[in-house]
Amino acid sequence: MNDQWTDRLSEYLDGELETAQREALEAHLDACAECRATLEALRGVVAHAKTLEDRPPRVDLWQGINARLTPGWQPGVSRDTTVRRFARRVSFSVPQLLAASIALVLLSGGGAWLALKPDAVAETPQPTPATFTAVSWTSRTDQAVAELQEALTRNESRLDTATVRVVRQNLAVIDRAIAEARSALEADPANTYLNLHLANTMRRKVELLRRVNAIAARS
Amino acid sequence: MLEETLTADAEAADVALAGSGDATAFERLYRTHVARVHSLVRRMLDADEADDVTQDVFIRAWQKLSTFRGESAFGTWLHRLAVNVVLGRRKSVGVERGRFVTHEDPLDGVSGRGETPELSMDFEEALARLPEKARQVFVLHDVEGYRHEEIARMLGVVPGTSKSQLHHARMALRRHLDR
Repeated sequence: MNDQWTDRLSEYLDGELETAQREALEAHLDACAECRATLEALRGVVAHAKTLEDRPPRVDLWQGINARLTPGWQPGVSRDTTVRRFARRVSFSVPQLLAASIALVLLSGGGAWLALKPDAVAETPQPTPATFTAVSWTSRTDQAVAELQEALTRNESRLDTATVRVVRQNLAVIDRAIAEARSALEADPANTYLNLHLANTMRRKVELLRRVNAIAARS
Repeated sequence: MLEETLTADAEAADVALAGSGDATAFERLYRTHVARVHSLVRRMLDADEADDVTQDVFIRAWQKLSTFRGESAFGTWLHRLAVNVVLGRRKSVGVERGRFVTHEDPLDGVSGRGETPELSMDFEEALARLPEKARQVFVLHDVEGYRHEEIARMLGVVPGTSKSQLHHARMALRRHLDR
């Protein structure tokens, strides 16, 4: 094996040789079966590297991490600058925050909801990516909540009376919180706390409806 | 496509919520990205360090959320942070132990191939047996897709050294694939 050429095979493979070097190496490859075989083997290594699958740790590390998220210590504030008030550099609009927060819930579940309402997929208009905006998301969220509530109304007979009562009480509390947050946001639309609060509250409502429907589906 | 958009939106919301102190949102980010981060760490360091360093990466991410400007995907930002934590740790450990890269020939670390009783060696195991620099360069270039110029900056070497280490790593690994 000619080390002079072999040592350049990776650069050749990665397209990093200058024209003259590449042509000289290709001329050598035409005449050297061993270098051609080595080149193919290296190509195999590179291809194999791209197929490596990520694996999670064997044990869940979250508890250890969570224990180190110091209570009372806000993220984004370095330990040596705790007196400096936390200032977010990531900014989101009201609809972005709201829609994205709800999107998380809708993505994470909904199977039971669809099971209870088999025709939901056909009935629910699917916006194309081009028309997917924060505004359309807000309306989609409202529609999703309405359908979840309809499903609950249809299927609440599968739940015991006490459960239905507790669910309705909780929904009433959440609805009041949503109404108050929306009212406050009308006066102060840019308030970050209110934005997050509204997004979180909407998320809780969707989560609650989804969970109750899941319970009903199993009953 | 739509699902990808929704996932990105959901992650953006979780980043915002985690930035406001929501540990539950941060846990969701952890669940989404832990496999990739842990795999990166495990491949670049010894396996017995991977859990501790992965935890360090997420703690550091929690601390540095304010520096995430949303110019790239959160996963990209987190991944780069993980690389920095790994390289920073390796440097400090190397200084403490006084043995940061004591040999430069990657082939030394896999010379036991012929003595290994198993007929085939898992590629990841072969990778783990590479000497440190060759392993780091291989992981960063061939697995993670960094360019030699970036790798050279991160490792404090010239690009030519990065290319040389990559070639030696590939040559060593192809012997294991050939078996």
